[in-house]
Amino acid sequence: MFYWSLKTLLAEPMRLMVSALAVAVSFVLVIFFSAVFEGESDQMVVYLEQTQADVWVMQKGVSNMHMASSMLWDWKADFIAKNPQVSEVAAILYLNGPIKAGGKDWFSYIIGLRPEHRRVGPWAMAEGKSIPGPGEAVIPEVITRLTGIGIGGEITMIDRKLMVVGLSRESFSMASSVVFVSAVDLGDLLEASDQYSYVMVYAKPGVDPKDLARQIMQDIDKVNALSSDEFIASDWQLAAQMGAEIVRMMTLIGTLLSVVIVAFTAYSLIARKKRELAIAKALGFGNGQIYLAALFQTLVITVLGLLLAMLISFTILAWLPTVVPQINLAVRLHQFASIAIITLPIALLASLSFTVRNCDERYNHSTGQ
Amino acid sequence: MSDTTILQASNLSKSFGSGASMVRAVNDVSLDIGQGEMVLIMGPSGSGKTTLLSMLGALLSPSSGQIIVDGEDISSMKAADLARLRARKIGFVFQSFNLLEALNVEDNILLPAQLAPSGTRGANRRLDQLLDELDLAPRRKALPRTLSGGEKQRVAIARALINRPQIILADEPTGNLDSHMGQEVMMILHDVARDQNCAVLMVTHDPRVEEIADRILWLEDGRLRNRKREPHNWVIDPVCGMRVDEWTATITTEYQQRKYVFCSTRCLQRFEAQPDKYAAEPTIGNLDTGP
Repeated sequence: MFYWSLKTLLAEPMRLMVSALAVAVSFVLVIFFSAVFEGESDQMVVYLEQTQADVWVMQKGVSNMHMASSMLWDWKADFIAKNPQVSEVAAILYLNGPIKAGGKDWFSYIIGLRPEHRRVGPWAMAEGKSIPGPGEAVIPEVITRLTGIGIGGEITMIDRKLMVVGLSRESFSMASSVVFVSAVDLGDLLEASDQYSYVMVYAKPGVDPKDLARQIMQDIDKVNALSSDEFIASDWQLAAQMGAEIVRMMTLIGTLLSVVIVAFTAYSLIARKKRELAIAKALGFGNGQIYLAALFQTLVITVLGLLLAMLISFTILAWLPTVVPQINLAVRLHQFASIAIITLPIALLASLSFTVRNCDERYNHSTGQ
Repeated sequence: MSDTTILQASNLSKSFGSGASMVRAVNDVSLDIGQGEMVLIMGPSGSGKTTLLSMLGALLSPSSGQIIVDGEDISSMKAADLARLRARKIGFVFQSFNLLEALNVEDNILLPAQLAPSGTRGANRRLDQLLDELDLAPRRKALPRTLSGGEKQRVAIARALINRPQIILADEPTGNLDSHMGQEVMMILHDVARDQNCAVLMVTHDPRVEEIADRILWLEDGRLRNRKREPHNWVIDPVCGMRVDEWTATITTEYQQRKYVFCSTRCLQRFEAQPDKYAAEPTIGNLDTGP
């Protein structure tokens, strides 16, 4: 019966392709939502990851960067630097707010940099200076592509105009981009010229970041210190709870839609072969063999759809951000595995339910007698 | 024809629906079919012929009664055992051929052989034999859609015979064929019963088959009844003895200035191989053996 199943599918290549394509399109829809979710989630913590700090120190009660505000006296950074287990510290001023460029507000992580803290500045530059001086800003290259505001152009941070001197790469997100300005300008704006928002601590080799974080909290009053892993996880979770939750809901709806499409495709595929299944039964094939034949067809269609979906996703979806730069997509193998795990059992059940029901029908109804 | 009973049904009934809408399709039917016997089930449309055949073929369970196939009571068998029985002891031939469209002639014929103990490998010699006997050898790789109706039915017969079943159940096997092809198929089934000692139980409306059948069962309103014979105006095929309509017959030959009419090319070929044998047969005259 497996041979029959395969030959039946291959006998109508156009129908096979249409069925597999229907399954693939539904998968791609889910993959797209999932890729947006993953891409945006990745991008939200990209700055935190790129600094490669071992420990993050911030105001007591603060445990993330997204939608947060933190203020530390500058002496605390100096105190941390003197710790014998610390190799280096880098401190930033930080504001979570919009910048105006090209008549549009771009919600951003605004990072105030001092010239000596190069390590926590832009990690990939497309053009221009990486460390902005007073009155200057480094913005994501994507904003330039979307607004036309490039090097020498002007953006507005709250109430002050800044000139764009650098364009950074990998720093744009629909939810929150990373904009670098001078710590002088941001300190002036926040009236916090002798304060920092976050201190990034680089430990000496062999020092456990969690131990170091604990020690910093013991040594300095009113600070919170987290290892980089803990801090990134905390920030990602908060970010995901906000914008990414909507995408997650869309992914869920897409998945349900996909399940319906795949189940319907499997059902109609087997329904078309109802007569032949009845013939097989009349010839002496047992119900189990007939069920397996039906399941095999559904498996082939679903796997073929999945392969097509992978092909489409890795080509079209990977290429899409070059045309629509504001979209961050992350297409990963586990997304395909998830969709297969969810939809395949449903598709198999759909085909099986039809087959089981029809295996008990009178043969003359099905065989045209 | 052997005296050994291969298929026996006792007080067989089948009802569909319930209450006021209940239809009794088969009502208290008892019959015995012997090995090598060719039995026709005839009757008006809706008389329950196909339902009876389905029950005898273990495709439909009876509402009451008993069916014994080759000494085994199938009434209480499980679905898996019934499937095994169908695969090994019963061959089906349908009106609409019911070939699997994606499989070629060879694969269609070999399909039930998968269920035989020796599998398809053991059936290859039988396949070649059937392809030769049924003139299908040149078409062995053809797909069903490229075959004529007669060829399709011959493939269906070969498929029914591949596992050497003891019983062939044929449901209107000539229903979708022209008269020429229909007679060809009838002759094949007749040969199957005679040469392979296989019981052939056939549901048909075709009165031409009556002459070659060993017995005719008349089913009406779900019950077997005595049938009143209707007069026909037939001539006799000198080879097989089947009645052939003189006016519609297309296969004829002349021998010793006499015209002979045949039901099929198979009979014509046999006649041409030994004309003296058949022409000399005094009881099988031709045009002079009308009703």
